[in-house]
Amino acid sequence: MNKREVNEVAFFGKITAGITHEMKNVLAIIKESSGLMEDIMSISPEAVISYQEKFQNSLAKIKNQIKRGVELTDRLNKFAHSSDETLSKIDLREAIEQLIAVSQRFARLKNVVLKIAPSKQSVQPTTLVTHPVQLQMALFAAIECCLHAMSDGGVINIGFDKSKEKNAVHVFCEGDLPGKSEFVNNLSAFEKWPVLQKIAAFLEGSVELDESAHGIVLFLPEQLGS
Amino acid sequence: MNTMKVLLVDDEEEFVTTLAERLELREVQALVATDGEAALALIKADPPQVVILDIMMPGLGGLEVLKRIKAENPHIPVILLTGRGSTREGIKGMQLGAVDCLMKPIDIEELIKKMQAAIQDEASLP
Repeated sequence: MNKREVNEVAFFGKITAGITHEMKNVLAIIKESSGLMEDIMSISPEAVISYQEKFQNSLAKIKNQIKRGVELTDRLNKFAHSSDETLSKIDLREAIEQLIAVSQRFARLKNVVLKIAPSKQSVQPTTLVTHPVQLQMALFAAIECCLHAMSDGGVINIGFDKSKEKNAVHVFCEGDLPGKSEFVNNLSAFEKWPVLQKIAAFLEGSVELDESAHGIVLFLPEQLGS
Repeated sequence: MNTMKVLLVDDEEEFVTTLAERLELREVQALVATDGEAALALIKADPPQVVILDIMMPGLGGLEVLKRIKAENPHIPVILLTGRGSTREGIKGMQLGAVDCLMKPIDIEELIKKMQAAIQDEASLP
């Protein structure tokens, strides 16, 4: 990335992180206000007796949505802060979990579920020193490619391991899939495929079609610039 | 039972006044300040047993307020409130003498437990 692009990403990161703080305040106010309603109901249930069940149901919904909002805001905040540094030590599993959380909605539009694939027992926690924003962009582009190449419905699994001494991120699809050649054609004709290749090259890695599954393998070095 | 006296400091007025109301229902005496200057003035006039202090505030920021409380009233325990992204400030606050740091939104029962623990710890000091 050139300096202008770095500044643009930093700007978006800063603004987004600032907004997540505000959203936390909004959620905190909703939480305390619904909590106060709950407190009052428990002190004097006769005050709302005719609608008690409705009140309780509504409060339960509010509570669940606050929990959901807090989780999303936390994820978004972390995502925004990934632009704070151009090079950082990243736990690959954490990065995948993070990206799955913020990308779930895009998958849901195609009735697809994003899942982290269980690691092989022998694989140690994988830490990479790399560009955090570009790594997230690579993972997201890989998800977009799979979403484009597969039919509606199904699952995209994202896992990682070390093969041939390289860190490999596997993004593979499951479900009612098109034939392998159709899948490969769909994927390689998709506009995001060369984008993914370009990002992988920037990260000093590479991207390949998975020979054993309907998916993609992203190879990444342990340390950028090593 | 002794009633706890707490000062809540946060520039989000609706948050802090609602939290105060909920604490009052639990027999906790809650004072409210929506900026750092007002908080310091309240502490001087009517010292609380514990302070709940938001880190991110306009004007006199939470960490500056914490420094001033610790300089003038080192015996008053301070619990910080923070958003997830400001953990760095939370750590800094602990180094400046805060006894704990809670993430927003908070759980009121957890907050009360933390306040009780902070007051008890302070009372047990020689």
